[in-house]
Amino acid sequence: MDFQKGTVQSLNVHVLPTNRFKTFTITLFAGTPLQEETVTSTALIPYVLRRGTANKPETIALREQLDELYGAGFGFNITKRGNTQFVQFRMDVINDRFVKSEVSLLSEAIKYVGQMVTHPLVENGQFRPAYVDAEKQTLQKQLESVINDKIRYASERCMEEMCANEPYRLNAAGRLEDLPHVDARTLFERYQQWLSEAQLDIYVVGDTTLEEVIGYIEQYFSLPDRSPRPYERADVQYNVDEVKTIVEQLDVNQGKLNLGLRMNTGYASPNYAAALVYNGILGGYPHSKLFVNVREKESLAYYCASRLDGHKGILSIQSGIEFANYEKALKIIEQQIAEMKAGNITDVELSQTIAMLSNSLREMFDSANDMLGFDFNNRYANTNRTIEQLLTEVQTISISDVQTVAQQVELDTIYFLRDRQGV
Amino acid sequence: MDILQYDAVEETLYREVLPNGLEVIVLPKPGFQKTYATFATKYGSIDNHFSVGDNPPIKVPDGIAHFLEHKMFEEPEGDIFATFAKQGAAANAFTSFDRTVYLFSATEQIDENLTTLINFVQNPYFTDQNVDKEKGIIEQEINMYSDNADWRVYYGLFEAMYQKHPISIDIAGTVESIYKIDKDTLYRCYNTFYHPSNMLLFIVGGVDAEQMMELVRSNQASKTFTPIEEINRFFEPEPGPIKERKKTIQLPVSLPKVMLGFKEPEVTLSGEELVKQEVVSKVMLDVLFGSSSAFYQRLYDQQLIYDSFGFEYNCSEQYAFSVIGGDTPQPDTLIEEISHYVKETLKTGINEQNFNRIKRKKIGSYLRMLNSPEAIASEFTKFRFRDCDMFNVLKYYEECTLADVNQRLVDHFNFDQLAISIVESPKA
Repeated sequence: MDFQKGTVQSLNVHVLPTNRFKTFTITLFAGTPLQEETVTSTALIPYVLRRGTANKPETIALREQLDELYGAGFGFNITKRGNTQFVQFRMDVINDRFVKSEVSLLSEAIKYVGQMVTHPLVENGQFRPAYVDAEKQTLQKQLESVINDKIRYASERCMEEMCANEPYRLNAAGRLEDLPHVDARTLFERYQQWLSEAQLDIYVVGDTTLEEVIGYIEQYFSLPDRSPRPYERADVQYNVDEVKTIVEQLDVNQGKLNLGLRMNTGYASPNYAAALVYNGILGGYPHSKLFVNVREKESLAYYCASRLDGHKGILSIQSGIEFANYEKALKIIEQQIAEMKAGNITDVELSQTIAMLSNSLREMFDSANDMLGFDFNNRYANTNRTIEQLLTEVQTISISDVQTVAQQVELDTIYFLRDRQGV
Repeated sequence: MDILQYDAVEETLYREVLPNGLEVIVLPKPGFQKTYATFATKYGSIDNHFSVGDNPPIKVPDGIAHFLEHKMFEEPEGDIFATFAKQGAAANAFTSFDRTVYLFSATEQIDENLTTLINFVQNPYFTDQNVDKEKGIIEQEINMYSDNADWRVYYGLFEAMYQKHPISIDIAGTVESIYKIDKDTLYRCYNTFYHPSNMLLFIVGGVDAEQMMELVRSNQASKTFTPIEEINRFFEPEPGPIKERKKTIQLPVSLPKVMLGFKEPEVTLSGEELVKQEVVSKVMLDVLFGSSSAFYQRLYDQQLIYDSFGFEYNCSEQYAFSVIGGDTPQPDTLIEEISHYVKETLKTGINEQNFNRIKRKKIGSYLRMLNSPEAIASEFTKFRFRDCDMFNVLKYYEECTLADVNQRLVDHFNFDQLAISIVESPKA
């Protein structure tokens, strides 16, 4: 897997020529610092951009065009990695050879993204106010809807409490309280600033070449004079003074017990592979300590798992339990963390985890999105580890390597979402 | 071994029905690292009243197919997840209305993993103790879903539409019903529905078809099964009318959730003809309610709908219905708008330009789906259990005409058959 790389107008271009897929997959990453002042307006930008371009001011025309491009998939999402907020535009279109298309579908797809991001609809030096108002409402409803999914709600609340003094506390999708202060003029100003300072990386996977893609970008993107701000990556070293315990009450039928831990190891750390294995043994799989002890042995939960965020060096644990089982479940989870520190890991747990991790790394080669995501993680973290190298590293991890990582892990926050009865 | 060539989509299928009745399909994907296999039984949450051969019929507790799925992973020597993990495979399973599917995906030790998949599904191991232990876990699974507003509004709609049919029963059952499940009933269900003649094995990925087929052949030849007997499934006749017009559930949500369901009073088609009806219905709904429709854009501008607005069409030989809805601040206004719009379109019919555009969209979306081995395995099995071929769907989209869609419009939308489900926050 080798992405061919080029640069156009300070836009980094990454192309993987392959004929394994029936589609072309296109992703544009735009990264800017995650900070209170701009998090909400930045999050609102793609919502407004999708409403109209200079060429096609009416939303319906843009939507119809996607249908005309044989049901091209278009979407955007807003995420965070470390201290960076990312706006990501995705497009997925079929390869022309399956249909009798008069135009190159790849060219049309790149044009779609290019016009949306660099040729928006501007009226009187600002975005169309009706679009901005409508999309403010949409984003507001989106932010408010987190409460409908208690698993996600608990997970976001735990991170917010844990990182109360770091940019990472911010939801990448923005803050409700900022929305009333955004209007068509200030948002357009923010857009111009965003476009000139964002780190831009575009990925294309499919039956094409770097030259072809660069040609289309030169044709369809017109970027201003840009001075992209270098990425400020998060420091994964963190000393916990005191474990925080947060209990929140809502009308829920099931309790959500979440824990946040500092790994003190991150994506760019030399022992990142050991951190992956640590997460796998603790809670990444159905054979992991958390699943086996909380679910299979004690029947306390349907789900109990851990997840590693390498760019921030945080490991989070999620579970859904009876309210009355809080103490019992917490004790068992803490015990598993202690077992990891003590190096009480069997050869079987280690070999199963390595086999599972190796499989998921190899499976990445079958997915255009996985391959470009992996490459972009390297780009962001300023590392150059290939999938093959990580695979080799994972396979040489020993129990003592995992224990070394485990001994740096510190519990930071315990978060419990429960009903309104009881205490 | 039959070889089925689908030139339009550049795919080749290998198919064989073994002497014990098991159907095996292999779809090689040259260049793929991964192999994905599903082992499915035509047995889901709706199959709660049945008999085999001349034996007397039995009724079983709600949620038992899903319970059985959980318990299959336990073997005398321990949890089968551990075996898959040792062999580097990610395994899982799911239960739907009409099927239960066990699966793995792996990049190495394919022969071992395929053997593990077949063997664990063909080796039930239920004890009083392990059955009891599972109840607490499934109780938590049910509680998890009861907090999920999207799930609740969806099931609320089934309950409002269907009077007798078990599609309105939650796939996982209820906390009460699962505590009635015991080892003997599990074995009874297992022995009925897990006979190879009621199952389909689908293998897709970077594999050699003949080698996979030979592995399955010899694995099955080494086992003995009872002779094939006919399974009879009993469903109380479902009355044509809906059960209730409107069902409201209270749960804390940021905005009310509304779903409209048009229940078709009877399903007269089956097999490929039913698939054609499904294809035409999907085109019709997309023209009417898709995000490129003028209706969608108008309601969005009026802030009656948001990105969550959507629609779907589901049908089998026993049920057929559409679902339309999403989050809205004003449920009654949204219901009124949709009803009015459908009534108007019934008078005017669908516009040809919009029809052609959506047809093109559906063809492209279908082709994009073929990038995903998971989606192919899932869709192929779903269609095969209805005696249909998923690869014909492309042809049906191409053949679909404006006249078909306009006829469907008239046949489908009957306002006596409209049921509504709402989830809203408790009044303060």
